[in-house]
Amino acid sequence: MRAIVLIVNRLIWFAPTVLGLMVITFTISHLIPADPVAFMAGENASNETIEALRHELGFDRPIYVQLYHYVVGVMNGEFGVSLYTRRPIVDDLFGRLPATLELTFVAVFVSVIIGIPLGVISAVYRNSLLDHVLRLITVSGLAIAAFWLAILFQLLFAMELGWTPLQGRVDGWGPDEVTGFFLIDAALMWDGAIFRDVVAHMMLPAITLAFPAMATIVRFTRAGVLDAINSNYVLYEQAMGFPRRVIIWKYVLRNALIGTVTQIGLIFGVLIANGVVVEAVFNWPGLGLYAVNSILQSDYNAIMGFTIVQGVIFIIVNLSVDIAHGFIDPREAR
Amino acid sequence: MKLIDSVIGAPVHRLARFAAVAVLAIGGMTEALGTAEAANKFVFANSSAYDSLDPHAVFDVGRVASRLNLYDGLMRWEDNPPQLQPWLAESYEISDDGLTYTFKLRDAKFHDGSPVEASDVVYSIERTLGMKKGAYGLFNASIEPGSTVATDSRTVAFRLNKPSAIFLATVPEIHVVNEELVRSHEVDGDWGEVWLSENDAGSGSFELKRYDPAIGFSATRFADHFMGWGDKYLDEIEFRTVVEINSRVLGLMNGDFQGTDGYLPQDQVKRLAASDTIYVQEQESMRIFYSIIQNARSPMNDINFRKALSYAFDYDGFINDILSGSVARDPVPLPNNIWGAPSGVEGYTYDLEKAKEHLALVKEPLREITLGALAGYGQTEQAAALLQNGLNKIGIKTKIVAEPWPVASGKMRDEQQMYDLLFLWKSTYYADPNNWVGEMYACDQVGQRNNSWYCNPEVDALLIEAQTSTDMDVRRANYEKAAVMVMEDAAGIFVYNTKWYGPFNNKVKGVRFSPIGNGQEMRWVYFEE
Repeated sequence: MRAIVLIVNRLIWFAPTVLGLMVITFTISHLIPADPVAFMAGENASNETIEALRHELGFDRPIYVQLYHYVVGVMNGEFGVSLYTRRPIVDDLFGRLPATLELTFVAVFVSVIIGIPLGVISAVYRNSLLDHVLRLITVSGLAIAAFWLAILFQLLFAMELGWTPLQGRVDGWGPDEVTGFFLIDAALMWDGAIFRDVVAHMMLPAITLAFPAMATIVRFTRAGVLDAINSNYVLYEQAMGFPRRVIIWKYVLRNALIGTVTQIGLIFGVLIANGVVVEAVFNWPGLGLYAVNSILQSDYNAIMGFTIVQGVIFIIVNLSVDIAHGFIDPREAR
Repeated sequence: MKLIDSVIGAPVHRLARFAAVAVLAIGGMTEALGTAEAANKFVFANSSAYDSLDPHAVFDVGRVASRLNLYDGLMRWEDNPPQLQPWLAESYEISDDGLTYTFKLRDAKFHDGSPVEASDVVYSIERTLGMKKGAYGLFNASIEPGSTVATDSRTVAFRLNKPSAIFLATVPEIHVVNEELVRSHEVDGDWGEVWLSENDAGSGSFELKRYDPAIGFSATRFADHFMGWGDKYLDEIEFRTVVEINSRVLGLMNGDFQGTDGYLPQDQVKRLAASDTIYVQEQESMRIFYSIIQNARSPMNDINFRKALSYAFDYDGFINDILSGSVARDPVPLPNNIWGAPSGVEGYTYDLEKAKEHLALVKEPLREITLGALAGYGQTEQAAALLQNGLNKIGIKTKIVAEPWPVASGKMRDEQQMYDLLFLWKSTYYADPNNWVGEMYACDQVGQRNNSWYCNPEVDALLIEAQTSTDMDVRRANYEKAAVMVMEDAAGIFVYNTKWYGPFNNKVKGVRFSPIGNGQEMRWVYFEE
């Protein structure tokens, strides 16, 4: 019951949060001293062209009028059109979103399935050589710049060893798009060759993106397990003769995971943001590059659309984290 | 510890087994990999995004590939130095008053099989004028909407409202679209822009096969192209956006791409040239690097101050040390290799004594000078830093402001907001001296394409005559004089003309470089082992 109240509570806050996000982003993007109209009109445009365009786009109206029209548009499902291509922003965003989400999901998955067991091992063997080695790896994971790691991986695995593709999401144009998630689309086509190709292309970017996330998960899991392992209930369970495996993987880990799961929610947002660099190096056709270009070109509608979509994803992920907390720790759901 | 081993042993062993299986699976996967490109398909990695394929909306050099390969114009620039050749036009005539240009069309077909007719040309220029985008700025001053007529299905006449010697040079930018096809996709008077941004309505050498604004486009050879095909050609071309230089270079080296842009940093050019699988074509392009000086503001409105600025820049240090000699010194506001560029002009040198002499003659009080640079374009920032160093030595205080292009391009049009100086390039939009000195220093372009607020009536008279005269000797002489006068006035700091280093896979043959197309017109290209 408490879980339902929690979800409803979060959903009630959803609209004001998105509205706040819109107002802040709109104001900032419109107050920076850039002139997207001059940029859009091109280097050779006359002033007359620029002013005509400015009027046509409504940028000569007061900013609050522009904001009002924008908010009304979004409420009607209209994100507007790109200032450059005149294509609907929705098409541009949702054409790229699956690429970014797929990479992020895989990176989170990789970081979790590697990070949590390593965190447990690190805690159980605390202060051993293994723990020190893992600490070294995790600190490196947090310290190494993603673009540097990405280039090293490219040079080693793609150029030197030839094990993986260098860049791109797939050779050629990929599977027939149904969901836009190539792993799913290739599976739906039942085409093993394309599926393998998609997985192979995903390995380097996903591992690059997962590395710092994994480091965070290892550190948080280690801290959580260490905290839990010293609890009285563990002593009690040991005294009762519970198998160690059950104590660690069922009781200790479950208690230790609260902090880790919170981190996974935050990591998801960070990975989408960090994806900009990884997408650039691996030529991954996702949202990151689109967002950067939109900002450089001051394509207001694109910036707004991107921010709102990111905000909504982040809110959904955090809602999922709250629900997951309820499952892991039933006290929260009560 | 033994107990703990028994605790974690099983999961860790499971994990190890999982990892082993994963490695084997990955090994299996990589066997299937390699460059899965079709044997006769050329993949070009480009730094710019192909965010629209509409030939009337896009007018930059970075995205020239879609215009040159999917569309045809009446005329086309080829080779270096660029030669203007009839293309869709079979012939043309210019009336004696220089106001009417009549083009006779060849027998050509659009990709959907329908014939290219004069009405399509009329629609294309009206569309350019109506959309006010792309190459609109080249035509709006000389062509009124509604003034172009199709006198028959194969003849089109442009009636200019004033004589324009540069009109013919700009005709290649009138890309002809299939009127019927585009009109059928117009929505609310949008000239079909949304549809054409991701579709093809051209007659060019290649027809669009697939497009994704996040990736790029691919196109197949149009067998019915009016020019026909010889024995050697490409079946398919693909232009992909790859923003990272390193990824473009590595991709070229491992065979993912067969070509990439020719304006890479010099260390990458050397890296590619050293590769066994790559060759690099070198050509002097037409893209000058210079600093705009805001001439209307004190103290830059004093010629002695401007001369001091020009003598305080270390040209040799910049060209030979920072850029490893990969560009050509160019002392005037015209590329060295275009007709109308004066020969034998030495220009300014790095001479701090002369700079001090001129500075001593400046009457207005000195102040801190703002040196503008384009954020993300390292060369502009390096040039600003180098000038700052020189000016520091002669006692002029400066600050460097690096801002992104949208910010800079907005400020460039505002006399008050414009930086005191701003380093940037001027590319080729059409191969006529007017593209550079004419636009950069004409009085009627002040605040538009003349961002120096420089207006010298003597220079202006030369430029106006050159823009309207049909006598090539007069035009050549005027541009030569005007370029030297602008340099002597030190209206800007003129640094270099760019060289193009086009890297291609060894099997790529037939690349024809022109400063307008930058080697991206693919109909001439073929593979030969």
